[in-house]
Amino acid sequence: MDNRLNNLQKRRISSWQIVLLILLLFCPGGYAQTGKITFTPHWIPQAQFAGYYAALDQGYYKEEGLDVEILHLTANISSFEYLKSGKADIVSSFLMDAVRQKSLGVPIVNIGQISQHSSLMMITKKESGIDEAGKLHNKTLGIWSSGFDDVPIAFMRERNYNIELVRILNTVNLFLMNGVDALTVMYYNEYDQVINSGVNEDELNTFFFSDYGLDIPEDGLYCLESTLSTQRELLAKFVQATIKGWEFADQNREYTIDLVVQEMAKAHLPNNKAHQRWMLDRMLELLQPGDKNVIKGHLAEQDFFRALNILRLTSPDFPSEDFMFENFHKPLLTK
Amino acid sequence: MKKNSLSFRIIKQVLFFCLVLGCVIFTIYYIFSRTTIEKATRQNAIHLANNTVARIEQVVNPAEKIPENLAWMLETGALPKDSIESFLSRLVKNNTEIFASAIAFEPHVLAEGVTAYAPFAYRSGDSIKTTDLWSPGYNYFIMDWYQIPAILKEPYWSEPYYDEGGGEELMTTYSVPFYLNKSGESVFGGIITIDISLDWLTEMVNAVKIFETGYAFLITRSGVYVTHPNRSQIMNESIFSRAKELNQPEMREIGRDMIRGISKLSNITLKDKGNIWIYHTQLPSTKWSLGVVYPHHEMYASLHNLNLIILLLSIAGLGLLTFFTIRIINLQISPLTKLTHSARIIAEGNFDSKLHTIQTNDEMQELHDSFQFMQKKLADYIVNLRETTSAKEKIESELRIAREIQMSMIPHIFPPFPNLEEIDLYASLESAKEVGGDLYDFFLLDEKHLCFAIGDVSGKGVPASLLMAVTRTLLRSVTEKNKNVASIVHSMNKTLTFNNESNMFVTLFVGILDISNGELRYCNAGHNPPVLIKKGFSANFFGITKAIPVGLFEDFLFVEEVVQMEAEDKLFLYTDGLTEAENAEENLFGEDNLLQVIHQNAASSPKNLIQSAKAAIAIHVNGFEQSDDLTMMSITYHGNKRGIA
Repeated sequence: MDNRLNNLQKRRISSWQIVLLILLLFCPGGYAQTGKITFTPHWIPQAQFAGYYAALDQGYYKEEGLDVEILHLTANISSFEYLKSGKADIVSSFLMDAVRQKSLGVPIVNIGQISQHSSLMMITKKESGIDEAGKLHNKTLGIWSSGFDDVPIAFMRERNYNIELVRILNTVNLFLMNGVDALTVMYYNEYDQVINSGVNEDELNTFFFSDYGLDIPEDGLYCLESTLSTQRELLAKFVQATIKGWEFADQNREYTIDLVVQEMAKAHLPNNKAHQRWMLDRMLELLQPGDKNVIKGHLAEQDFFRALNILRLTSPDFPSEDFMFENFHKPLLTK
Repeated sequence: MKKNSLSFRIIKQVLFFCLVLGCVIFTIYYIFSRTTIEKATRQNAIHLANNTVARIEQVVNPAEKIPENLAWMLETGALPKDSIESFLSRLVKNNTEIFASAIAFEPHVLAEGVTAYAPFAYRSGDSIKTTDLWSPGYNYFIMDWYQIPAILKEPYWSEPYYDEGGGEELMTTYSVPFYLNKSGESVFGGIITIDISLDWLTEMVNAVKIFETGYAFLITRSGVYVTHPNRSQIMNESIFSRAKELNQPEMREIGRDMIRGISKLSNITLKDKGNIWIYHTQLPSTKWSLGVVYPHHEMYASLHNLNLIILLLSIAGLGLLTFFTIRIINLQISPLTKLTHSARIIAEGNFDSKLHTIQTNDEMQELHDSFQFMQKKLADYIVNLRETTSAKEKIESELRIAREIQMSMIPHIFPPFPNLEEIDLYASLESAKEVGGDLYDFFLLDEKHLCFAIGDVSGKGVPASLLMAVTRTLLRSVTEKNKNVASIVHSMNKTLTFNNESNMFVTLFVGILDISNGELRYCNAGHNPPVLIKKGFSANFFGITKAIPVGLFEDFLFVEEVVQMEAEDKLFLYTDGLTEAENAEENLFGEDNLLQVIHQNAASSPKNLIQSAKAAIAIHVNGFEQSDDLTMMSITYHGNKRGIA
């Protein structure tokens, strides 16, 4: 109970109060106009966001005349909350979350797609005998408490599998102790945590959702429509410098891992290079379009519609009106 | 010290033996010591780990009893529901090892409509505070401390975490599921927890010191370091992430054994720590695993130090052994050196030099005495040798003079008669010893008569030479009064036979050549028959006469014989030293060889004929020592050239 998240929550309260105070004292609309940009990644510091740390460290934002601050979430909430409240000018988020937010009428827009593929997967222990997706029927699946349901539920619905979802916070311990039959994990993160807890790769069966027609891209960059209309140039520079940061991270992986570990230590998070190296390597793979017909930094139209279809499948009350891809994705990366 | 000296060789062999023996002893000692150390370390590691685990359990086990008792109280209804918070508060207050305690209920078990309730008592400074853990932002149902024991239906020690104050205090939660009686049925009621600080645990494990850098460490059931000498790894790294970082799969295997609860001693070479021994065993309560690490080089450090001391002592010992052995050997063999020195002095001729005194009464003394004896004998011998040599030299000198006298008695100027055209004559005499018994002589009796003789005295050396001198003198004196060869020989025989007590005799050939007509009258007294070479074509021995050598019988009647020589006929006379010349195989030169040489040189002058014969004999004997005197004479008759009447 006295764990990290509780700790985060307590800190959130204090920083929230400070931010509120600043908001009251200074005009909140004035951020971006002076070239100052606050960016909030959608999770705690880790190599998932290496490109942003690298761009900041290497001065790529400064070169573009930007004064960028990376403000991490202080609780287990959506980064869109920061966007909505004006705490952040740009946030990163999963495509599924963003499409859902858009459907709920939040005026957000995707200004650049970082990840091109899905990293979401399920794992089972070989000893459980679950070596094909069909055997998950009538089994338990550990899944995070929010934000990741759509793809697995779409998967279950499409196949008529009855899988009991067991909500977990963010550890893999329940799976390690055989409290659930299967676990939803990110290949770049929890999968390696399981490996780093002493389970060998050859002791696991893996089920990548991308192998089941659910290759939904993940991390993308979002801002409010109003910000885009007024600060288009600054945002474009941010996206440009960010991609440059990812390229630097690709070329200088060990250096970048050190940056990531420093960020994690600053946030008092458990960190080790082996895991962050794994995460960076996987992230860099996700950045590549691969066989998708899309430019780096852009979102493929079919991926957007695939995400929409999933939401329609999982949420019966999903608005039925047409969503215009052009209204959702306005890529600022010209190169 | 010379490389091949006696002391060097002895030292070399002794040192070699000592080294081999030392190496064998050392190897046995080293293997034995190593095995002993390994055995002791193994026992020590197991004991240390078990002991540490037992001490940890001593603290953990009583703590485990608290929530277990509390569960019993809830299940039996001994704890009224409305006094739960105050009870928890008192529980935390009374148990100083507990930081906090909670009872988290399942929805609707406490009362219908209560979806979540988790009274929580915790220390805040010196006081105890209580609160309800549940809030929309803190859904305890999905927290590990609640969810895992709730699903597994068994007590659970959580993974460690840092305390909520953001401090450095490491905490863990022990959760026990409890059951409530509802409508006569036992239903799962929720989870009881206690939070305890792990500071005492880290202190206890960190206090374990093994040699210089050895240590103990603790990992959770997912391999995360709870304690480690490198503090940056605590809660950040797991043994598996380290294994990955160091790229050491064998370290991962050890980690897997540890989280499986296996107790085992393993040997592994780590890239950052070198070769280590690691023994690990599980904590029965938390299922965490304790490892004790023994650095390999430190395990054997004392042995290696001892080895170094032994090595230094051995070097010093061998040095001393060498030094004293050399001293002792040199002392023992010093008489030898002195004797060697003395031997050199003696060898230089100083036979009287005094030997160094040795009084050791051992082999050296015997050698010294023998050496002294040898020196004395050598001195005596040298004196004798000097005397003998001097006497021999005197005799040799006299014999040389005698030889000169003897050689001067026979004519030795050639050609002897340069104005006498009718004859050409050459003769040669080579004694086997300093003085010999052969003789030859020739002289003109008058204008037309040439007298010549060749002889061989029996025996050799000085007696023979004396008789030769007598014979030659006698020949000259007898021929003065007598021109008949038979009477010449007869009178010589008579004189020589007289008082011949030594029974020596002479073979003699005497001839008188009338150079006006070539008539040769001769008498052969037992001498080798000469060879007559007719005009350079045929060569034949003279017929054998029945005469005996002179000096044997006083009244023996010698007969004169005659042979006619034509112009350019030759005579070849010799002694038996020619035909009996021996080679190493004891083969004689023989008369056949002689005739062959004569045939080959029939047309040669007397001088050339004799030199050819000498050369043939030299070839035959081939360096073998000459045993008899060798005398030859040859005369060529050219005919009456001047018309002598």
